[in-house]
Amino acid sequence: MDTPARAPSSVEAVMMYLKLGWRNLLRNKRRSLIAGTAIGVGLASLIFMDALMAGMQKNMIDAATATFLGQGRIQRKGFRDTQQADLTIRRPGEVLSALGREPGLAHYAPRVLSFGMISSPSDVRSIQLVGIDPGSERHVSEIDDAIVAGSYFESAEGGAGTSGGADIVIGEKLASMLKVSLGDRLVVTVSEAGSGDLCQDLFRVSGIFRLGIQEMDGAMAFVRLGRAREMLAIGEGIHEIALVFADPEAGGDPGLPFWGAYSRFGNEAVGWPEIMPQLEAVFELSRFSTYLMGLILFGVVALGIINTLFMSLHERMFEFGVLRAVGTRPAGILGLVAAEAASLAAVSIVLGCILGFAVTAVVAANGIDYAGIEYSGVTIRKLIRPELCLRPYVEYPLWVLLFTVLVGLYPAAHAARMSPAAAMRRSL
Amino acid sequence: MTEDGAVIAAEGVTKVYAGNGVPVEALHGVDLRIRGGEFTAIVGPSGSGKTTLLNIISGLDACTEGEVRLAGRPLSGLSGRELSDFRRDHIGFVFQAYNLVPVLSVEENIEYVMLLQGVPKRERRRRVSEILGMIGLEGFERRLPPHLSGGQQQRVAVARAMVSRPDIILADEPTANLDSSTSGGLLEMMQGLNETTGMTFVFSTHDESVMRRARRLVTLHDGRISGDVRQ
Repeated sequence: MDTPARAPSSVEAVMMYLKLGWRNLLRNKRRSLIAGTAIGVGLASLIFMDALMAGMQKNMIDAATATFLGQGRIQRKGFRDTQQADLTIRRPGEVLSALGREPGLAHYAPRVLSFGMISSPSDVRSIQLVGIDPGSERHVSEIDDAIVAGSYFESAEGGAGTSGGADIVIGEKLASMLKVSLGDRLVVTVSEAGSGDLCQDLFRVSGIFRLGIQEMDGAMAFVRLGRAREMLAIGEGIHEIALVFADPEAGGDPGLPFWGAYSRFGNEAVGWPEIMPQLEAVFELSRFSTYLMGLILFGVVALGIINTLFMSLHERMFEFGVLRAVGTRPAGILGLVAAEAASLAAVSIVLGCILGFAVTAVVAANGIDYAGIEYSGVTIRKLIRPELCLRPYVEYPLWVLLFTVLVGLYPAAHAARMSPAAAMRRSL
Repeated sequence: MTEDGAVIAAEGVTKVYAGNGVPVEALHGVDLRIRGGEFTAIVGPSGSGKTTLLNIISGLDACTEGEVRLAGRPLSGLSGRELSDFRRDHIGFVFQAYNLVPVLSVEENIEYVMLLQGVPKRERRRRVSEILGMIGLEGFERRLPPHLSGGQQQRVAVARAMVSRPDIILADEPTANLDSSTSGGLLEMMQGLNETTGMTFVFSTHDESVMRRARRLVTLHDGRISGDVRQ
């Protein structure tokens, strides 16, 4: 009567536990459905929140980069902090020529930047003067699309070229403050690079834009690149090159080889997260909020799972006693309850994914209108549409499965530890 | 087995339950030896300690004092896992009710222990088919226990207890929930199996018809053996 040296087939045992777990779940359909719905709603909330955050991030990045910033910039080292007019990009011709051959780059636009004063017969205001090449700038920023009066550097005076022309495009708010309209004359004053001497020039308002961003509508003025160069006495110099990549994600990728390749000759190439670190911090905060919400949701759901499984276990304590009596090891009971928890998770995942997808799809189709609201220095200009992507439907369900099984281990361990006789006594 | 051929040897077994802080002595110094192939009934009124004794000699519960040897092996030295494996391979159980897993079919209930033993599927199916024939339940393989009568459920429970070919079958009041004709049929079947296979049967009962069929009657009273008669 020695113990036979046979081992249970683990695959068959697992299959049996899964079969038992699934069928036990169906024993009390209403209770299982309520518990599964609770977990499913938690999962759906997470999926939707994730999609909403992704949509909001995309919207904010788009608002921040497409309006004017660009997805990245090349500047002379130190210019970002000092805005000194003499810190122009080194070897600009070589850099521009290389950018023209860059396969991942969709568009780029050279700019000249300077702080200055703008005066009309009625008022004087401080502004940021931006010298642009209208042709390339229209692919990088949205100034041309935001024109509400006049035109975008198309006057006969200078055409669409880069030099000459006294036309100036200003924001609607600035025009209102200066009490000027199309055709009115304005005087712009800047400090020359190197000497610091003041230079004044006369412009005629050729276009008025409205981007809906206070800082831009009220304190920015665009002139032709050549005219700005002349005023600042920087020759053929440029202060920055705004970049737009073919892949919209590239600008946010700090590991992109592009940055290293163009951070030479004393220049620096940086993506938008470095230009607007506050935006990345906001996204980090959003991610943390999502995780925190997930934690709270799952904490509440965990109590539901534990309650459901304990109710189920207590109803079937004698059954567990019988299973232990006929030779099921404590680990087997643990596996059985874990399989039941996994079955519950499977039901919840199906419910949660369907619900999450439905809610996300409906909101994505209609969008959420936060246009005009400024958040962390970025003004939302378009409808926020939750992003439909595969990741949350894979990542979160896996977490739900793992979490449900982990939580289920508590009642499972309780059942596994109980002696068979005690389990059978408890039920009778 | 021990030298005298006993498959079960209980010596000085005492069991005290600490119920609600007041110790309750369910068994007191019980000595019992059961030889291989015996058809033994443990009888006594309710609360006399029959179920407790069956639980202790099967390793389902531990005694407070004394020693139980099953096939010469002391149960006190076995871990929880070893006890599970020992029960799986050497003991078959039949309880008075709620015996079967209700979500498993007749076939699955019977083959469960064999699955734990690692018996190959084909062999399991062969043995299930064979034993269902022996207990007269051919064609019931796919039925779920709730769709069987009480007598049929107990037959399946006996089949499950036997199919893994244990050395001992322990039955706790197997006829308690059955009518007299069904319980007679079940006992007849168990007796027949005992005679043909030589399997040791030990069951607790206070059913007169069961007592009449037993070849040995061990009487318990207030946790002590008050009689031990071979008939």
